[in-house]
Amino acid sequence: MSVFEHDYRPYDGPTTPLRTRPLVLARYGLSEAWGSKITVGLAVLALLPCVVDLVLMYLADNPVAKMLVVGGSKVLEINEKFFFGVLETQCWFALVLAAWIAPRLISFDLGDNALPILLSHPVSRFGYVLGKFIALALSLSYVTWIPLLVLFVYQCYASPVPWAMSHLGIAFGLVAGAAVWIVVLSLIGLAVSSWVKWRVIATGAMFAVIFVPAGIGGIASAILRTKWGLLLNVPVVMSELWQRLIGAPDVFRGKMDLPMPAIVGVLIAASLACVAVLNARIRAREVVRG
Amino acid sequence: MTELIGTLRQQPWSLWWIQFRRFARIEIRRNLITKRAWWIYFLAFVPAVIIFIHLLIDRHQPSSMTEDTNVLAGIVQFYYVRLGIFFGCLGIFSRLIRGEMIERSLHYYLLSPVRREVILLAKFFAGSVSSVILFVFAMTLDFVLMYIGYGGAGQDFMLHGPGFGQFQAYLLVVTLACLGYGSIFLLLSLMFRNPMPGALLLWGWEAINPVMPSLLQKFSVASYLRHLMPVSVPAEGIFALLTVETEPVSAWVAVIGLLGLIAVVLVYCCFRMRRLEIRYATE
Repeated sequence: MSVFEHDYRPYDGPTTPLRTRPLVLARYGLSEAWGSKITVGLAVLALLPCVVDLVLMYLADNPVAKMLVVGGSKVLEINEKFFFGVLETQCWFALVLAAWIAPRLISFDLGDNALPILLSHPVSRFGYVLGKFIALALSLSYVTWIPLLVLFVYQCYASPVPWAMSHLGIAFGLVAGAAVWIVVLSLIGLAVSSWVKWRVIATGAMFAVIFVPAGIGGIASAILRTKWGLLLNVPVVMSELWQRLIGAPDVFRGKMDLPMPAIVGVLIAASLACVAVLNARIRAREVVRG
Repeated sequence: MTELIGTLRQQPWSLWWIQFRRFARIEIRRNLITKRAWWIYFLAFVPAVIIFIHLLIDRHQPSSMTEDTNVLAGIVQFYYVRLGIFFGCLGIFSRLIRGEMIERSLHYYLLSPVRREVILLAKFFAGSVSSVILFVFAMTLDFVLMYIGYGGAGQDFMLHGPGFGQFQAYLLVVTLACLGYGSIFLLLSLMFRNPMPGALLLWGWEAINPVMPSLLQKFSVASYLRHLMPVSVPAEGIFALLTVETEPVSAWVAVIGLLGLIAVVLVYCCFRMRRLEIRYATE
């Protein structure tokens, strides 16, 4: 049957409020990220250390079990140092997860020249990046501050002595440390993915962006006989920051004593550089090479 | 045996040689002379820039030459082998096959009347030449900049002391690292749609390899290269405690071992290349 009437009728249903539009992109981003079996596998793998930590906490909090396993030794103590180790482990797993997820969020849009179509919808460039950022940050939260807080709550519950109020600083340090890492990692992930464009290369480039500057910083420190080269070493910078936020003993025993303003300055500079890259790359244009 | 030799003689070697050279020339140009390659230049030459700053601002007392020699050894052992050459070769060699698939241009090569082995070996040769040229030149520059500030003492160290021997050993290490990692990344890009997880596992393996039992240490590029280092920089911290010291291997055994590994990997790459199918829809 022929259809004769093709009159244009504008959509008159409810529209998504301007503020919540990035959440639509975040929702689709999350489904894209978690649609891969590898993402699920990595996330499960990232939670395995937490299970081990949970067992250790059980042993530490149960006097009979502790006596059986370690005797009277003070090896198994749940304190700032223990949670610092847990935070470090989870945050490095978050890097692996980010290196896998971030290119899936951005590279497909750029590689297939879909960005002009996406940005022709009523969503701004900032909204687009924010949506992707939320998707990535939520995914990383799943392996960082959420399981860490669960461990903290379990320790509060299982400790035979009053523990929670005297160690609230640990909870704050865990959330703050993980949040800083999530923000930095998400921005780096999105910037690298938008810059490299090829998903295959972006995963490796993410590791290169974190670890090659660390090597360069090491060279600068060794040759120029200065400690400031360590500011390029993201693992060292983040370890220093986490250790101070949690209040754990100095892991580097004063060898790498970086001032807090310098650490914060480096992280802000890195984040701003990522924002600049995103501003340059996330544009509604199609490059056709002849 | 004579039949095999006769068959080999009948092959069109001159035609394959011409095709090999043409492909290699195109690839070398694409690897080296392009704006996209800036990051490989960055990886290779950033230590030279830092050493140049050291040359400009620091006073070069002869007593600090030993320390600088150790720093240079650390640069090769920890920066070039584990980071610079690793990620540089990862970019160069992954692009040779997988990059062409992503750009949907590999079928042009495969449709041309050229044996696939010739294409693969030409691409490997081009990637090797590009990476070796860059990193060997960077290494040479590092050496020159490191010792030129010492004047006569530096010249004496290079020409009459152990300097020149160390320089030759580092060049060998850099060349073998480029070839070794290059062959593995080429294989990974032929085997997997996304070679990065495999490459990153290899990176982790190379990093923890010194703490592995001596038998497992043989399955690593870095372990062969470690035996060729003229100056060894020990690991620090927990790694130093866990490091398993293996029996020293003579240089030629290490070189032959690594070249054997590269040859085996390339033969398998040729085997994979013959059965390569492209499905652009799934890329």
